[in-house]
Amino acid sequence: MIKKIYLIGNPNVGKSVVFSRLTGVQVMSSNYPGTTVEISKGYLLLNGERIEVVDLPGTYSLEPTSDAERVAVSLLKEYPKEEMVVINIVDSTNLERNLLLTLQLIEEGLPVIVSLNMCDEAAHRGVDIDVVKLEKLLKVPVISTCAVTGIGIKLLIKRIKETSPVLREKLSRESLWKEIGLIVEQVQHLQHRHHRLREILEDASVRPSTGILMASAIIYASFKIVRFIGEFIISRITDPIFFNIYQPVLEKLTFHWQEKGFWFHLLIGDLINAKIDFKQSLGVLTTAPYIEFGMVLPYVISFYFILSLLEDIGYLPRLAILLDNLLHRLGLHGYAIIPVLLGFGCNVPGILSTRVLESKRERFIASTIISIGVPCVPLQAMIFGLLGSFGGFYVGGVYLVLFILILVLGAILNRIMPGYSPEFLLEIPPYRFPPLHMLGMKLYFRIKGFLIEAVPVVLIGVMIINILLYFKLFDIITGIFAPVISGLFGLPKGAVVALVIGFLRKDVAVGMLMPLGLSAKQLFIAATLLAISFPCIATFIVLWKELGLKDLIKSTLIMIAISIVVGATLNLAILR
Amino acid sequence: MKSNHKAKVVELLGGATLQSKLMNMGVYKGKEITKLSYVGLRGPVVIKSGRTIMALGYGVAAKVMVEAE
Repeated sequence: MIKKIYLIGNPNVGKSVVFSRLTGVQVMSSNYPGTTVEISKGYLLLNGERIEVVDLPGTYSLEPTSDAERVAVSLLKEYPKEEMVVINIVDSTNLERNLLLTLQLIEEGLPVIVSLNMCDEAAHRGVDIDVVKLEKLLKVPVISTCAVTGIGIKLLIKRIKETSPVLREKLSRESLWKEIGLIVEQVQHLQHRHHRLREILEDASVRPSTGILMASAIIYASFKIVRFIGEFIISRITDPIFFNIYQPVLEKLTFHWQEKGFWFHLLIGDLINAKIDFKQSLGVLTTAPYIEFGMVLPYVISFYFILSLLEDIGYLPRLAILLDNLLHRLGLHGYAIIPVLLGFGCNVPGILSTRVLESKRERFIASTIISIGVPCVPLQAMIFGLLGSFGGFYVGGVYLVLFILILVLGAILNRIMPGYSPEFLLEIPPYRFPPLHMLGMKLYFRIKGFLIEAVPVVLIGVMIINILLYFKLFDIITGIFAPVISGLFGLPKGAVVALVIGFLRKDVAVGMLMPLGLSAKQLFIAATLLAISFPCIATFIVLWKELGLKDLIKSTLIMIAISIVVGATLNLAILR
Repeated sequence: MKSNHKAKVVELLGGATLQSKLMNMGVYKGKEITKLSYVGLRGPVVIKSGRTIMALGYGVAAKVMVEAE
């Protein structure tokens, strides 16, 4: 009686894609090891029965060497063997390395079925595997699959029932590798292929001179494209909708609204020159949707488009190699670039993915750096929208301050925290060119996540602000913080509200600055402070979950201290 | 060891976890590997073992003893 199906395999063999195919549950997949840091569960209908399918984090062997691997292995050993099936996903383009885990699973007496995945890529690369022979040698069912297109998945499901434990004596890893060598010799035929463009690019990106050149070009181009797409969406799609369709409709509505009391204030906000101003009115129906859909969403789309593309192509691990050196000085290693880049989208997935790092120390440093020095897309979009009109100098200034902060803070934490930064050991995937439908799915998935997370918080946030403003409750808070804010940071009292709201959502907080009519210097300081000070509530909760209460408090105190120092320094240092 | 040259692994030094990690990824005594590049300034070394390309931090690379062919 099968009750559970576990998906297990080496990192980056496409377990999550197989999982999506089996269960219809969409999960994140990328072309680098360690995309799955959480265990996903779904259901497969097998002969009318619902069976739970569990997608485990990637592992190279049943002798785990990292936390994620330990989780995978312990889950597998916990469940009664008679009631489960293990689908071992194997990368056909790299049969040899993958078979270690396969043989260990069989030795363990688990009912195993092998899914020889990425069959299309193997064919493309001139790797031919004799599936029938491999099945005979392993004594477990072996099915050639290509999860991205769906080839072989039906057959895989059909043969799940054929699995049964096979008797095998346990061998040491040395002897296993020897045996694997013999198996591979018998079943795998390689066609020699000449170096092609892809291999040449793969090579060039890990050599120092060409690698740095490529990295600079890619980062520069990514930045340009993100801006271009974002601005394109704003000027061609969202702005016309807001100004030509939405505004006239709203204005007609307000025209008939005689008594401008509480509800008017809440929904529409203040009229600027007797007109609705999406940037300054601050109503639930005016500024709130404009911030989210008119200013932030276009950049969320363009940022995730580029990030997903770089992820699926497999460029990020190569970037990690080049940055290993620098990140070592911050107590991290090259692979920390992945959480950092994800953090630029939203700090929450960034901090979650610090699980790819081995030690608690690294995770603390990475999480703290992300929540202080890495602004999320919504915040960046608002900074561009607001400071951009004063010129690129100020926008660049915010990034420069944050970058210096990351370096200084990392270096200090690396010095004062006990322990050392572990060495980096990472498999580098080949470049892959993702099918468009996969890229589209991923983008859709991420944007949907953003909307679900952001829209309610923004609406409720603006509502709360308006209620507090209407009943003048902010005056109390302003009174308490005013000495610090205006004395130390040179900001007007009104900015206190924005900084406090930053705890709810950063984009709304910057939105609160819009009606204040701040000078470029004040805006620059306020935007920088919003980036480094307290994280938003979602980030705060994830930090708590990932670091524990003690480290959360430590991290928070660091943030507050840094905000005060940086805010005061900037205020004194900038004359204009 | 020069880039684009092959060598045989003769010994893995370092702690049990590191040895285990390398062995799990297919770098073990007797295995033939190719060095692809070295980033420089004590940065990572990129090697190819079988069909796997991997990056070893400088400290890790220093613990993989090889015999050039």
